[in-house]
Amino acid sequence: MPGESARASSAFEAGFRIDAANARARTTKVLALDRPSAAVIGRLATSPWMGASFLTIPTEAPARDGAFSVSGWLRDLAGQTRNLADEIAGADQVVMVATAGENAEAASIIGEACSVRRIMTTGLILANSSTPDEALSRTLSHMRPWALMLVVASGEEYIEDMLTALRA
Amino acid sequence: MLRKEQNDLLTQTGPDTPGGRLFRSYWIPALLARELPENDCPPVRVKLLSERLIAFRDSEGRLGLMDEFCAHRGVSLWFGRNEEGGLRCPYHGWKYDHTGQCIEVPSEPVESGFCKKIKLKSYPLIERGGVLWTYMGPANKQPPLPEWEFALVPDAQRFVSKRVQESNWLQAMEGGIDSSHVSFLHRGELNTDPLFKGAKANQYNLRDSRPVFEVVESAGGLYIGARRDADEGNYYWRITQWVMPSFTMIPPRGNHPVHGHFWIPIDDENCWTWSFDYHPTRPLTAEQVKAMEDGKGIHVKYVPGTFRPLANKDNDYLIDRAAQKAGRTYSGVEGIGMQDASLQESMGPIVDRTKENLVSTDNGIIMARHRLLKAVRALMQNETVPPGVDIAHQRVRSAAVVLPPNRPFIEAAKEALTVQEGTAHASV
Repeated sequence: MPGESARASSAFEAGFRIDAANARARTTKVLALDRPSAAVIGRLATSPWMGASFLTIPTEAPARDGAFSVSGWLRDLAGQTRNLADEIAGADQVVMVATAGENAEAASIIGEACSVRRIMTTGLILANSSTPDEALSRTLSHMRPWALMLVVASGEEYIEDMLTALRA
Repeated sequence: MLRKEQNDLLTQTGPDTPGGRLFRSYWIPALLARELPENDCPPVRVKLLSERLIAFRDSEGRLGLMDEFCAHRGVSLWFGRNEEGGLRCPYHGWKYDHTGQCIEVPSEPVESGFCKKIKLKSYPLIERGGVLWTYMGPANKQPPLPEWEFALVPDAQRFVSKRVQESNWLQAMEGGIDSSHVSFLHRGELNTDPLFKGAKANQYNLRDSRPVFEVVESAGGLYIGARRDADEGNYYWRITQWVMPSFTMIPPRGNHPVHGHFWIPIDDENCWTWSFDYHPTRPLTAEQVKAMEDGKGIHVKYVPGTFRPLANKDNDYLIDRAAQKAGRTYSGVEGIGMQDASLQESMGPIVDRTKENLVSTDNGIIMARHRLLKAVRALMQNETVPPGVDIAHQRVRSAAVVLPPNRPFIEAAKEALTVQEGTAHASV
């Protein structure tokens, strides 16, 4: 007579697992921090997603003086302005995509906004084997303080797999 | 999550499956050398990648790994007589050499040459580092012999064990690259296990229970870095190596031996968990070896005479709920190895990944699946040799280092992450 764990972990018993949705849909925001990354997410956005929306930022990071406002700072892929606070309100996860060597300082603005709201941030840096270490280092230094998870991927096809795995 | 067809691609490793073709690109551990301790010792049943095989060491010390069943009428050669340069079926005396070639059929005239027409499927079996390795792919694509550091150091610097895990290989291997579970499932062992405790850097683990993870592709697989705050504004990095398809090396602690695993499919619902400990520059101490034999560290205690863990699903893993409640263990199961295996076996023989809800800290697993799927497809479509076959991909180490902030760890720890002969591994 097998023990309870033996019976419970059998293939036969696996057939009795509840076949119902076990989670609500997630709200995922994918933000490109630079022009090359914006092109990448533009291509990604053409695939069907569950609840992901894709946004870009102005090419230049704003000056961090009193004049800066995040209102209307983001853009959707149609070019319409979006408010950062509104976009991340209610987000379950925020993915920041950057390209090694590009300016990723905007990560601090997004990261700070997410940090205040306790929203999980993932940083994804696209860097291939020919990317100089210094270039990767620069982008990492911008991202590290603001990403609770960092991935350095050699190809953009990983982003699609990652977003699919995260039910974006 | 994975779609069903993706899950099938990675979890099915039998003959003529894409996942099976992937594993058949590599030398894989098959037996411990001590399972065939001497010439003409009894043969041993081996099941790998859903193929039933028999292993033996002949009169000249030649190693054989071949179809378990006699070609005559299907008798298991486990009953075979290992004598005079071959394995003889006890039913009608058919005899096979170490390559599976039938060399005698007593009922047929020798002059007929009948036995030359009979050959069992066989695979090369070689000894390196206390392990017998086999390669089950096409002979013309046989890669160079394995060069994992643990297998090349002197015997006294190494301890290797294996155990049966009653689940598919992939859910077992994913535990090895999932750094985020350590702070929960294994938290008790950091201070109590003799093979982990006492390292200076353990204070960083205890002080900062929320590491930040960085996953970076390597030539052979992945680096999985876990970053914690150290002193003076620096970071304490623990960098795990994953080399395809299923090798991991855990970052060291202090001057303890460094350890790691292979997960090798027996069939689609069972796998071997191979565990090794080694030190690059000195012998293991008698106390360390005793601890490993006693099932400490990543090793386990066994049902006597078997490779089945003593704590297993038939006895509910000897779960101790009082210990769980008291905080001595997190899950109630004792020992790092069985803490992992019990949970992974509970997922079912092959976990249904369509039901998963992964989170961002699962990116190590997500990236590993991505790389495996990519390698399987490239192998099937273009015969591309997968990562991990190249021996340069095997000459790797894990590392534990303190680095200044803002440096990519793969650049700053580049030397520490590759084998440097004659030097100890990078540890804190």
